[in-house]
Amino acid sequence: MKYFKKGQIEKIIDRLAEKADVYVPMLRGQQSGFYSWKSYDENYDDLIFDLLNVYSPPKNIVLPQTEKMYSFDQQGQEIIIKPEEIPVEPNVIFGIRSCDVKAIEYLDEVFFTRTFVDEFYKARRDQVTIVANACYNPGTNCFCKSMGVNPLEPEAADVILREVENGYVWESKTEKGNILTKQIEDLLEEKEVELYEPNRFVRKVNYDGVAEKLKDLFDHPMWEKYSDPCQTCGICTYMCPTCYCFDVQVKNWGEEGYRFRCWDSCMYREYTQMAGGHNPREAATERFRNRFLHKLQFFNERYGTPLCTGCGRCVVACPAGVDIIRMIELIKGAEPSV
Amino acid sequence: MNYTDQIREIASRLLENGQVDMVMAWEKGAFDYQSLPYVARSLEDIDKMIFDDYCVHNLSTSLLRYRDSNEKIGIVVKGCDSRGLVRLLEDNQIKRERLYIIGVCCSGVMDPLQAMIANSGFSRIKDTSGLAAKCANCIQPNPVIYDELVGATQEARGPANRFEKVSEIENMSVEERRAFFEDVFSRCIRCYACRQACIACDCRTCIFEETRPQWVGRETSISDNMMYHMVRSMHMAGRCIDCGECERVCPVGIPLMLINRKLIKEVDHLYGPYEAGMVYIEGQKPPFSVYDEKDQDDFI
Repeated sequence: MKYFKKGQIEKIIDRLAEKADVYVPMLRGQQSGFYSWKSYDENYDDLIFDLLNVYSPPKNIVLPQTEKMYSFDQQGQEIIIKPEEIPVEPNVIFGIRSCDVKAIEYLDEVFFTRTFVDEFYKARRDQVTIVANACYNPGTNCFCKSMGVNPLEPEAADVILREVENGYVWESKTEKGNILTKQIEDLLEEKEVELYEPNRFVRKVNYDGVAEKLKDLFDHPMWEKYSDPCQTCGICTYMCPTCYCFDVQVKNWGEEGYRFRCWDSCMYREYTQMAGGHNPREAATERFRNRFLHKLQFFNERYGTPLCTGCGRCVVACPAGVDIIRMIELIKGAEPSV
Repeated sequence: MNYTDQIREIASRLLENGQVDMVMAWEKGAFDYQSLPYVARSLEDIDKMIFDDYCVHNLSTSLLRYRDSNEKIGIVVKGCDSRGLVRLLEDNQIKRERLYIIGVCCSGVMDPLQAMIANSGFSRIKDTSGLAAKCANCIQPNPVIYDELVGATQEARGPANRFEKVSEIENMSVEERRAFFEDVFSRCIRCYACRQACIACDCRTCIFEETRPQWVGRETSISDNMMYHMVRSMHMAGRCIDCGECERVCPVGIPLMLINRKLIKEVDHLYGPYEAGMVYIEGQKPPFSVYDEKDQDDFI
């Protein structure tokens, strides 16, 4: 097995950063997320490989919250359109957990398949090498296994790190991974080490049959009841590693301006606001229901999997304590209304 | 602090004799440290109802969902939350006769959100046994408006000067201040949780949702973020009841109460003495809802 000591980790990141922008899990003030190693400030930032996960999901690396698409300038009768150049520096997401890797796999489905390839997403995604950190110690609100994610074997990872006593095992899985291995070869040692036994999950839920069942529950009174505490803020969707909805908007000054896309949230009223003034999801209950139907039914109908990787962030971060695990259980227990 | 029995007793009585159609309180979540907003509509729902140390939420905000209906509502409020009710009544958002207010004299609550973060592996902070951050600045532990009171009257816990941090920012140079605010606002992900949790935000259509015209851009850039926060905070002037919910729910730790407190201080100084929602007098309006020729305008 290829192995390196924990004390070597910064050296390894330094080396990888010679050829790529390396995103690492950090605590930055009151925030935590994947930030560029270039921006690491040892007086302010704290590397957190020892924590379960970062609070802000890494999806912004492939799907930035705001992204310019093109700019325009009208000169007389002419309109000059300038496509936006997408920065294409190679980058490495270093230390990402299985749930968040799976989320990127779902984004790949959305932006690459079903007849349309999103060029903005592709430009960024093609440059990403994924160095995952296998999860032997699930957190209190983790339920990835229940959602079909293997915490120890993230499929889309190019390299899998496995935490062992005093160090990490480095396991390359793909050609992209092999390139990184070459780069840090002299920092790795050959050593047989014992892998940890994975700990058990505290929370579990059985998703079987939920997508099917939801087909008959659209008008069920339970949505009214369970959406009561929801304040319809966008935390659950913006903290979600899989939520990918975006809006396309424009900024202009006189004759020139630019078009950009930015994350949008189905929890906002504006999300479904139509040009004529009608809004099909005016009520909070309707928006609340849509979030669960998209995650647990509609996405499954189109892609054969729920749009949830069990990372637990929405469960933790919701100010009102709306809990998707509980929602799945409630859906399973609901009597279809007549 | 545990008033579960008292709250259940009152709620049962109200529902049984038809005095209210629903009672807003809390229930336990998946963990001991999680209490969640809960609405009981029938006697069967009462068994789930609780009031304990983790009942941090300001439920008065949830009343906005029922402002167009006719249901009579029982609602459990702490001192700070009750000031929110005063604000809603002043703004004609709900009629007093639709409410049965169960006031709780509050000795301070703990924050389930911080406990969730700490216990779920997302933070280095492990001890969340202390009072919620918002309770450190409490000036009103006892309900200012109620039909029935639970618990013994409490002393305010707030520090001698809750504007200390505000003065610190005021004493910064313009450049320092700009750098400070750029740093905190650059974190904003525009999830609007601060707005949604806010009792002062009772507009039917928020300016940030307007599309014709769109007043504030949707980019998460420093200029759009600053614009969002400037507009948001200006709307808080004379309306913020210092319940601290906006800052508590912010997922990126923006010191929103610092900004709100600056406005509390300014309004008190320019139009006061005034502190929003401290007393309910029928027909009374907050400073920014009335026009008075004697209002100060020398800064315009």
